[in-house]
Amino acid sequence: MKPDQLQPENFRDYSPVARAFTVQNLALLRRLPLSICPSFLVQISDLDTCFPRERILLQNQCAALEAMQPGELDSLLAPIRAITLPPDISAMNWVKAPELFVERLSEVLWSSGQINAFHQASRTLFAAIPDPADGKERLLLIALGRGADLSRRSLLKKLARRGLRLEALQTNTAAQQMIGVLRQRSERTKEDYGHWYIDGGEKWMAPAQQGKSSLIETSYTELAPLRDHLLQRMQDILQQKKSGAELMRSALASTGPSALDSDKLSSDPVLQRFYTELFTKGSGTQVFSTSFVQWSGRELTRRAKPSTLLLRYAPRQRYRSLNEMIEKPLADALDPESSLIDGEMGAFYNWIEMNWISAPGKLTTLVWAEGSQRAVLIGPGTQPNTISHQRVTVLEALAFAQGS
Amino acid sequence: MLSATSVRSGLALPLASMRPAEKTIVVTFGGGARDEETFAEEGQENIPNLLEKLLPQGTFFPQVRNAGILGHYVATASIVTGVYERFNNFVAQPPPNPTLFEYFRRELRRPLDDAWVIAPSNGFQKIGCSSNSAFGARFGAGVILPKRLLNAARGSLPRQGDQLQYLLQDNYEMPEYEVKSSSQEREMHLDTLESTLRLSVDDFVKRARTVDSADELSLFITRRLMDQHAPSLMMLTLHDMDVAHSGAYSLYIDAIRRADRLCVELWQAVQTHPEYKDRTAVYFMPDFGRDADDDPAGNGFQHHRTGSDMARTTWLLAMGPHIRQNVVVERPIESIDLVPTIGKHLGFDTKTPGRYIEELR
Repeated sequence: MKPDQLQPENFRDYSPVARAFTVQNLALLRRLPLSICPSFLVQISDLDTCFPRERILLQNQCAALEAMQPGELDSLLAPIRAITLPPDISAMNWVKAPELFVERLSEVLWSSGQINAFHQASRTLFAAIPDPADGKERLLLIALGRGADLSRRSLLKKLARRGLRLEALQTNTAAQQMIGVLRQRSERTKEDYGHWYIDGGEKWMAPAQQGKSSLIETSYTELAPLRDHLLQRMQDILQQKKSGAELMRSALASTGPSALDSDKLSSDPVLQRFYTELFTKGSGTQVFSTSFVQWSGRELTRRAKPSTLLLRYAPRQRYRSLNEMIEKPLADALDPESSLIDGEMGAFYNWIEMNWISAPGKLTTLVWAEGSQRAVLIGPGTQPNTISHQRVTVLEALAFAQGS
Repeated sequence: MLSATSVRSGLALPLASMRPAEKTIVVTFGGGARDEETFAEEGQENIPNLLEKLLPQGTFFPQVRNAGILGHYVATASIVTGVYERFNNFVAQPPPNPTLFEYFRRELRRPLDDAWVIAPSNGFQKIGCSSNSAFGARFGAGVILPKRLLNAARGSLPRQGDQLQYLLQDNYEMPEYEVKSSSQEREMHLDTLESTLRLSVDDFVKRARTVDSADELSLFITRRLMDQHAPSLMMLTLHDMDVAHSGAYSLYIDAIRRADRLCVELWQAVQTHPEYKDRTAVYFMPDFGRDADDDPAGNGFQHHRTGSDMARTTWLLAMGPHIRQNVVVERPIESIDLVPTIGKHLGFDTKTPGRYIEELR
């Protein structure tokens, strides 16, 4: 089937929310080339478990494309239409299983040498869609380095180049004040899925009171039951020794929240899916808590576009062979020094990602080397590559970075 | 990338006084290493040996583009065939186009033991020869996968078992799996270890206990081959750094530093070996880069999925008696240019789409 042949009844297996969305946007879907129409369907089919911001973004994209003059849309779609696809992929049931089509499409684009042309055409198409202004004041708080030697001069160097290096942060109140700011913001501005705390180990704080704030908090430790389920699946696949990465990746990607009993961790289907996909679609998150924290931050930024994000990198398990780490994760054989290096790079990526979704001058970032007086502060009030030896608290530092 | 002042140029010996290399070793980093962690200013602390010991003795190309599929097996196959191969990266299969080893052995009538591939990664057992009917296994290279040998050795020595598991690490995206053998490949198995390398299974396992990683084990096998057969053409693929797929930056950096040390150890082994000294060209080249930090389509160093310039761009360091020293060539070249260049040096035509690299004349 081709997109221009789509009918409402083709979507009868979709959830009611997704079905209503496809019917509402059927005219647009019919105009899309086969090489991108299923990508829209992947997002639409998951609408009932996506974050509110994802739903709004998808609605905006469809509305903007629909509102374009026919000539404009046709010219944007022309390079995508020029992508040639083999008959076998065109014959796939891409309405029923759009994610399988997208997986196969990726193989086709790489093997036919069309991947760069496709990426370029897609970038051009989405760049033409106006980005709704988001003037939110965002806050990114990160703690890392617990148990490691934090004295080296180059600590957090990538971030320090972009902001103010603090050498005398008041240590004894730092954690408490970071949590306090997070709670305060989540109580002041209640926002669905807008305030998050992700910990790579045991959480710093007691759970927030139900209903008082919109803060969502979880940790590597809390998600252990879900992860253990998945590790068992990975172990089963490894023991089959039938195929390599493709089988592993496909098997993980097709593992849904119910298969991992994610309902025991949360009654919210949106969170069930989010927590599940951190492990089924992340790489390394299943075995390294540092990868889990970085990937959680990235996925939250990409999908939920949070206002407040507290990420805490904890020491990960010591490196052993992949099979060993999957078969027998070691919670007590930790590697704090390597975890610090992982966390530094992860924090840099988390900052880049929060920058992508923030308007200029609207993001404040504090990265604290946990337990030490050292931190990096980046915000509208800081200058790149500067240093301060003045004794400050977290609250004072944040006020300074925000220019207040 | 290197600045003009960081590399002195013009110290080359007169070309007329040089003679072509008689032996060739290609070293690829089958894991992808970005400029950021290698030759860019920030990464230079990770490669002191390449930068200070090797680069002044060779010709360096900072812009090598890989325009093919950015998967390690298919990219390495493309490097050895000189053609951008298009097959499924995750299925072990012989490349359809003739390999450098087959051209070499057929055109120069070289014996069976004169071309070898040492690759740590599972799935590489079919890289020694192509499925091309005019070439194929009868002209292919011997293939040694030290990790597979070690795995088999563990089975034969049960009590020495699992302490060696860490050396069997394959990257996160390529878990260990069984590949069907066929007569169309020349992988060396455990039963010929002793006759080929004069190394007992027991001694091999003992040696494995003393090394820190699969790449170190690969270098040990390479040196053993040099001692036993002195092959004229070898390819060594280092793969530890592909641990980057797990998202652990520290492990990726450790692996780059290890590769840096192993490169200089190999060069020193070449220069102190009577069969190789002053008659061997060595080419060091990662198969490609990895994704950029600021590319929203990727996740930085972790993967190589975006096909962006950073993921496609890598470098080549060439060293040997006929190769000018302390020279940086800024002109972009492609990874498939290596095969016709080596072919021309060794005296055969490869009929591949890549271009001869004139600066290595």
